[in-house]
Amino acid sequence: MDYDIFLGCVIPARLPFLEASSRKVFETLGIKLNDVDGFSCCPDPTGIELIDHKTWLTLGARNLSLSKNGNGGIISFCSGCVETLKGVNYSLNKDPSLLEEVNEHLSKIGKNYDGKTGVKHFTQVLYENLDKVKEKVVKPLTGFKVAVHYGCHYLRPSEFIQWDDPFNPYTIDEIVNAIGAESIDYENKIECCGNPVDKSDGDLSLLMIENKLKAIQNAGANCVALVCPACYQQFDFNQRELSKKEGVDFQIPVFYLSELVALAFGHKQENLGLNFHRVRPKGLLESLNFSN
Amino acid sequence: MSVINFDFRNEVLKHNASLSYCYQCSTCSGGCPVALLTEGMYNPRMIIEEAILGLQDKLVDQQIPNVWLCSTCQKCVELCPQRVELTEIFTLIKNRCFEESEVPPAFISQGKAIVDNGVAIPYSNSILSRRSKLGLPQVKTAPMEEIKQLLKETNFEYHITRRGE
Repeated sequence: MDYDIFLGCVIPARLPFLEASSRKVFETLGIKLNDVDGFSCCPDPTGIELIDHKTWLTLGARNLSLSKNGNGGIISFCSGCVETLKGVNYSLNKDPSLLEEVNEHLSKIGKNYDGKTGVKHFTQVLYENLDKVKEKVVKPLTGFKVAVHYGCHYLRPSEFIQWDDPFNPYTIDEIVNAIGAESIDYENKIECCGNPVDKSDGDLSLLMIENKLKAIQNAGANCVALVCPACYQQFDFNQRELSKKEGVDFQIPVFYLSELVALAFGHKQENLGLNFHRVRPKGLLESLNFSN
Repeated sequence: MSVINFDFRNEVLKHNASLSYCYQCSTCSGGCPVALLTEGMYNPRMIIEEAILGLQDKLVDQQIPNVWLCSTCQKCVELCPQRVELTEIFTLIKNRCFEESEVPPAFISQGKAIVDNGVAIPYSNSILSRRSKLGLPQVKTAPMEEIKQLLKETNFEYHITRRGE
């Protein structure tokens, strides 16, 4: 099984180190990812969709129409892109007149979408290959007490995400435990990180992430694992904001799930770009004998 | 004094017929993280009530409650016992705000980035060099003539540029 990678905007153009660890993990697993030219923004399900649904459907369908080589369809490292691409598929398949309208637009650029491209989150592919993931672990993450943050769009709306459980998710916890770390339960685990609200109310957005970080700290976790670049920015970038504005300094390192898996697979830290994290994971890694 | 606008109500129903199933139980607001933190200033149940009544002036012109505070966490959609697709209905209301009323500026900047670059975040030189240091391939994004054509087709470019003037 191979997949076409849909990179989106935030990961390749702002957080490329998250792309590096994700690619390395799939390399180690021997799952081939094809690069495809010509993708646009997915577009953002918390941005463009909200101001123009038809544009969202049209650009989304154009992107989906470009996947031809991957027999597993599209894989994305971003929950927002997955939400958009799955959501566009769902809408266009539910209402044939919409598909017709979108194809009318696409015909102007010589394209057509049949509504059939499959879409998977990279976490889903990891979970589906969990035995292989376990086999490849050379350095179990002993001592990592991980607060898993699922994020909203990895799970919901379940109507078309069709993966894991919208309120009692388990897939990321199982992956975290499979690589030798320990998933720590905490109070507001399935709540939103607050990132999308930042566009309309920055203070409210900060309050939402502060509440999550407090619960994570109270539960005794020593790091966070997540699978969405919007959540990543909210957790990693905003700890400094909270320290400046509210005087609360959490200093909880935030990992992409792919980074933790890559560490367990024995990849070198410098190749993963962990130094680009705003909350430096160096201290934690050294204390757990992960310095290389 | 609010004005009942049957055309608006029918437009919402046409976009998403699940609106008519709502019996105002407020399960949506009970599970909403933003309602919880704004002491009900943001209230999904009330947005749906106003949509049922066709109160376009409240929802689109005055934005009370402010539909833009929705975090799109989709909990309300999962929790609704009547399977009302609340966020789909909010999307229609926000789309109407985009066409004829106010929108938080961050949405317009993102829209402008798409009109100009086809992607929400253009590749800066420092990111390009960081990518090559990390051993990542160059990214070839969408040809701009294709994106421009599609954004003309959907009238998106018009609504973005008219706001920039």
